[in-house]
Amino acid sequence: MFAANDWTRAPSACLLVVMKIRPHPAAAAGLLGLLSFTQAHGSDATIAAGRKIALLGSAPERPGCASCHLLNGAGQPDVGIPRLAGLTSSYIMAQLGYFAAGTRHNVAMAPYAVSLSAAQKQEAADYFASLPVPVSLDQPVPAADVAAHGRALFLEGDYRTGVLACSQCHGSTGAGVGDFSPRLAGQSAAYVEDELKQWHGGAMRDPHGAYMQAEARNLSETDIQALAAYVAAMRLADNVAAISKEKQTP
Amino acid sequence: MKTSIVLGAIAITAVAAGGIAWQAGLLPHVSMVGARAQDADAKPKQFVPPPDSAIPNDKFGEEVKMGEQIFREPAIHAAQFVGNQLRCSNCHLQAGRQAGAAPMWAAYVSYPAYRSKNGHVNSFEERLQGCFLYSMNGKAPKLGDPVLVALESYAYFLAKGLPTGEKPEGRGYPALPKPALPADYARGGQVYAQKCAACHGAQGLGQSSGGKVVFPALWGPQSFNWGAGMGSIKHAAEFIHANMPLGLGYSLTPQQSWDVATYMDSQLRPQDPRFTGDVAKTRATFHNSPTSMYGQTVNGAMLGDPATTPPFGTVAAGTEGTASPDEAN
Repeated sequence: MFAANDWTRAPSACLLVVMKIRPHPAAAAGLLGLLSFTQAHGSDATIAAGRKIALLGSAPERPGCASCHLLNGAGQPDVGIPRLAGLTSSYIMAQLGYFAAGTRHNVAMAPYAVSLSAAQKQEAADYFASLPVPVSLDQPVPAADVAAHGRALFLEGDYRTGVLACSQCHGSTGAGVGDFSPRLAGQSAAYVEDELKQWHGGAMRDPHGAYMQAEARNLSETDIQALAAYVAAMRLADNVAAISKEKQTP
Repeated sequence: MKTSIVLGAIAITAVAAGGIAWQAGLLPHVSMVGARAQDADAKPKQFVPPPDSAIPNDKFGEEVKMGEQIFREPAIHAAQFVGNQLRCSNCHLQAGRQAGAAPMWAAYVSYPAYRSKNGHVNSFEERLQGCFLYSMNGKAPKLGDPVLVALESYAYFLAKGLPTGEKPEGRGYPALPKPALPADYARGGQVYAQKCAACHGAQGLGQSSGGKVVFPALWGPQSFNWGAGMGSIKHAAEFIHANMPLGLGYSLTPQQSWDVATYMDSQLRPQDPRFTGDVAKTRATFHNSPTSMYGQTVNGAMLGDPATTPPFGTVAAGTEGTASPDEAN
């Protein structure tokens, strides 16, 4: 067990230790197919190594992930930099792989992803996945009619336009499901809107994108804005309340 | 172990052609209802049920709303009759509104109807009883039970303006042509791993998020029992072809659909409520079809064997219900 602060004091020496004791990433098996569902939780060592990458970058000329996504993984919702805390390690790992391979086109992320080794990707992913989900205090509260429209689409979809309920894959609390669907609750509205617009416009966005492409093509501009505002405003407390209520049900 | 069986299928050309029309675009269509202007002339006019906003603000409207709530969350609103983690809306997509996914508006106008399965004319309510008994692996509410009244009200509301006695376009599942090759368990397992397991789990047990089931169990103790309609490989293949993976309907070939349906319906699931105490006798009486896997041995285990088969009707103790083993969903 290493305290996170140890890395900032003596990064190089500690990194060598980490490289030796770092277990083989179990998530690699899951990437070969889609058969692995239990998320591989990073060890203390990989998480700590990931924190170092987040802070200092993988190389001197590369700023750390935290420069944009912040060290607590909250991102910068107002400018569309997504929150990473609350995403699973396997999801982050997959996205980094897509950015590096160019199968998820993103000019900002590509050079960073390319510069990370497979082990470093895993460490960064493990670090952000290990963080508690920050409670967003600065997300704007959508207007009541916008929130109601977003909520209806999220929970029930719209059979008239062929929109499936988002909750069918992301869960009614927006917490996401295992390796398949990322957490949406509290995600940056600007980011969600941008991704939905990419899919709506016919882009695959990533090799996993066929589902969202099919879903988003039936969304209108109004739908997209309402959904983005709704998911951004989904609060952790609301989720916890919904889950507690669910558990009380026989 | 490889289990190959020959499957019979009736290709109803009119419906099959409709299904092909849905594949016309480069991308799979999400919904038969979500007709866009460019392909409106490529298919017959599709009934569109009313939206929730059309539910009247009166006592009847309250029943409709309760019916829809039960439909979406039966384990919460009809817990005493539900024995698994499925929802009605898992198979009746868009909460019973989507054409090609056994929509409730089409079912409503199709009853009363004679069913060879139980040899008499069934009311719509009696048909709903079968859903609880088999698909929900629970207990059938008594006729007139508030749960059935609410569900019937919801279905009646959805069917507004639809003529009775005529099979509306979009009823049930679209017919699927017979596969080129006999449906195959091993090939189906490959399809499952590639196309289904990411959501439903490698073991078919579904997945939850935040303590709440998101992707339903396809087999095992929390899925439908051996008497359910989805336990028919033909029905399952039709549903899968038109609707799965969710949002990507018609992306699997008919062959893949038959294969993966065979795989799904060759797994352990709760006992048939009509179980006579003898697997061979139960098969002969209720599963006397070359395509039924009940009583067949797969991976060394006989399907339906009480030693390995989860029980039927596993609702919480102390609940009411009259389970008349009449018909499957």
